[in-house]
Amino acid sequence: MFLKKAVFFLFLISYLTLNAQESNPPTITDSLLYYRSIAEDQLQNLDFRIVNVKKAIRFANASREDTIILKTKRLLATLYLNKISKGEMIPDSIYSLNHQNLKLAKKLKDTLALAYINNVLGWYHKVNHRPDSAYHYYYNTTKYFSELDMQEEKAKTLFTMADIQFEERDYVGSENTAAESIKIYENMPQMEYTLDNLWALYNLIAISADELKLFDKAIEYHYKALSFSNKMKDNYLYTLYSNSNIALIYKELKQYDKALKIYQHLFRNKSLLMEEPKNYALILGDYAHLKHLMNKYPESEIKSMLYEAYRISDSIQDEASIMSVALNASEYYFDKNIVDSAIYFSNIAYDLGKNTSTHDVVLNALKLKSKIDTTTRSERYLNEYIKLNDSLVNKERAIRNKFARIELETDQLELKNQQISRERMWLLILSAGLLVTLVLLYIIISQRAKNKELKLVQQQQEANEEIYNLMLSQQDKIDEARSIEKKRISEELHDGILGRLFGTRLSLDSLNLSTSEEAIKTREGYIVELKNIEQEIRKVSHELNTDFVSGSGFEDIISTLVETQSKAYGFKNEINIHGDIVWEDVPNKTKIHIYRIIQESLQNIYKHANATHVDISFKLKNNVICLFITDNGSGFDVNKAKKGIGIKNMHSRVKEIQGKLEITSEKDVGTSILIKIPI
Amino acid sequence: MEETIRILMTDDHPIIIEGYQNTLLATKKPNQKLLIDIANNCDESVKFMNRAVETEKPYDVLFMDISLPASTDGKFTSGEDLAKHARKVMPKAKIVMLTMFNETYRVHNLIKNIDPEGFLIKSDLTSSELASAFQAVLNNPPFYSGTVNSIVRRSIANDIDLDDVDRKILHLLSQGIRTKNLVEHIDMSLSAIEKRKKQLKLLFDVQDGNNETLLDEARRKGFI
Repeated sequence: MFLKKAVFFLFLISYLTLNAQESNPPTITDSLLYYRSIAEDQLQNLDFRIVNVKKAIRFANASREDTIILKTKRLLATLYLNKISKGEMIPDSIYSLNHQNLKLAKKLKDTLALAYINNVLGWYHKVNHRPDSAYHYYYNTTKYFSELDMQEEKAKTLFTMADIQFEERDYVGSENTAAESIKIYENMPQMEYTLDNLWALYNLIAISADELKLFDKAIEYHYKALSFSNKMKDNYLYTLYSNSNIALIYKELKQYDKALKIYQHLFRNKSLLMEEPKNYALILGDYAHLKHLMNKYPESEIKSMLYEAYRISDSIQDEASIMSVALNASEYYFDKNIVDSAIYFSNIAYDLGKNTSTHDVVLNALKLKSKIDTTTRSERYLNEYIKLNDSLVNKERAIRNKFARIELETDQLELKNQQISRERMWLLILSAGLLVTLVLLYIIISQRAKNKELKLVQQQQEANEEIYNLMLSQQDKIDEARSIEKKRISEELHDGILGRLFGTRLSLDSLNLSTSEEAIKTREGYIVELKNIEQEIRKVSHELNTDFVSGSGFEDIISTLVETQSKAYGFKNEINIHGDIVWEDVPNKTKIHIYRIIQESLQNIYKHANATHVDISFKLKNNVICLFITDNGSGFDVNKAKKGIGIKNMHSRVKEIQGKLEITSEKDVGTSILIKIPI
Repeated sequence: MEETIRILMTDDHPIIIEGYQNTLLATKKPNQKLLIDIANNCDESVKFMNRAVETEKPYDVLFMDISLPASTDGKFTSGEDLAKHARKVMPKAKIVMLTMFNETYRVHNLIKNIDPEGFLIKSDLTSSELASAFQAVLNNPPFYSGTVNSIVRRSIANDIDLDDVDRKILHLLSQGIRTKNLVEHIDMSLSAIEKRKKQLKLLFDVQDGNNETLLDEARRKGFI
């Protein structure tokens, strides 16, 4: 019996052009943009647009960019909604698509898309009579809209939510939600559209209050609703609804005069009222009932009014008006004791009420029926009444806090999600910090190791240079000695031998012509002299041949090293260098390594061996220099000491000159190192 | 009429003096009587010369080796110094220089400083040449060995005029001594030596500035 304005909002998803940075190969992007532009063209046939957007989705998927995929899929969702609004499609088909979009939008944290998608899903559930789910999605929608500060959209959604709550008999909840929506609308400029919504919201609060039997409040809010509808241009219907509702409340409060005044006012312009036959029939039925209740109007008038009301409502087959008029008529006939008619109308109301699940009507019809019927059936009607009423009360009780619970649950879920994401963030930060620390630590350690290595290399290089210089200076000494020797031999040849040869030649020359006995004798003397000179020359030649300094350089260096080290370390030494080794032919690198190996070995012997005697010898076997370093120290376990730095160093040095290293050691006997160096 | 010829032979090799003696005695003219004193070093040579001056029996001919061990007092380091002394104390004595050296530098210097009556290079000396040199020095000086003659001629033939220092530089370079070590042998600064070397290269028209080319050119023109 209550007039409700059917509230049905369907937002066409507004389409935002996103400037996605597209780094895909041009063919995909081009195709995508091409098909999407066709799909966006409002002038094209809807089916054609859908076909094109499906093609676009294929390319969007290929691009693997979520923003592009979402944008394109939302376009398809919009087109589907267009089709549904035309009645060419059932709402179910958009369900899965919107859920996919919801997932994507959540991933991308696209709040605007989230708001609109939730809105569509809310609408979908509402249409499918799932108020809980619808309320849940609409609630999410309002959250996103508040986040985006889109007040008008939020108010619209709140209105829808209030409507759902009303339909589910959560009148208190509905009032609250409607009040929230009103707050937003009242802050907006008073346009026709805003006024329309404000009237509808106040009307909703009023009828909720009516349901809660808060009649004073209901009247107050109806008047408030009227104050907005009065500002509207085309306001006839709004005023009609409000006024007839107010009249009904006054009738309920038995303030018949006030109710009568309103009806009289409404019927002043009967022809206009009759243009709305549904409303006319309803109001006429109520008006007749009021007149009957006031008990001062002629029966014929009331009867004819009821008759007309029923006739009109029946002719247009409007269930709501039929039920209302039937109940009014049944009550009237019961009061007038016309049992047949009373039963007749009560049955009409009862059946129709049952068919349309209009519980109020069924209850009222049952109440009447039990009153009309005087037989045992009366009790049955009463029982049915009580049963239905109880079930309704229970349902109401169950429902009362459902929406509050949904809100709470949603908020809790959100809170939990926030907490989880916060925890995740902390975990991420912590692990990132840990990772950075580890990386830093690694860098520092490796850098330190590198520095150490570099330092070691530098030290070795310096040591090598030192040895090299040592060898060079030795070479210089040798060269100097050689040149002195050369000069000496040259002088010997020039001054000694040449002079003597010249003298002999001159003497022989002067004796050449003489053949006397004496001359022959003298000549013999000079021939002996020549022999002596020969000897002299042979001697010089021999001196030239034996290069007195040949090869002694490196041997000297080694000897000096071993002697000075041994002296410093306090052990006796013995050096044996095989004369066949041609040190000049041994590369400097090898010599340096040999020097260093001996130096290190002596150091190790001093540090670890406790030796009193060291024997170092070089031998040449098949072009391989064999270097033996033997001590009489404490010895060690060769296998255990393999990893020592000193031995490692020695290994690497020997490897560098393609040699072989053998270490044998015996406890308390000594250690012997053999190094084979091929040349 | 018998002619007495006083001779002082200075050489550190007795056998060479023996050779001279043998040759001269075998080839002297019948009327010549040779009185030969032998000195084996600078000290002995100076002693003989001074005694000859004191007894007023100066030598007629002095055979002088160039490279000799220095005197004990260090005043005389070579035959050249002895020859100078001889010129002072016995101006009439005829000096025959005998040397193993055939380097132009020495030859040039000796001729300039001593102007000896005889100049013989030992390496190309024969007994007959020594004999004729002896007679020539006595009667018709000077007498130079063929090698000496050709060196003198060559250095006169070209118009390049070098002083002693230039010649010494060339000589030392030809001995394989490095430029930076020349200061040890010549009493000049390195930069002054370098300057002279540059001048020498200009004089000998050395285009590539190489020491070797300079030496080749100097050798060709008889300066080394």
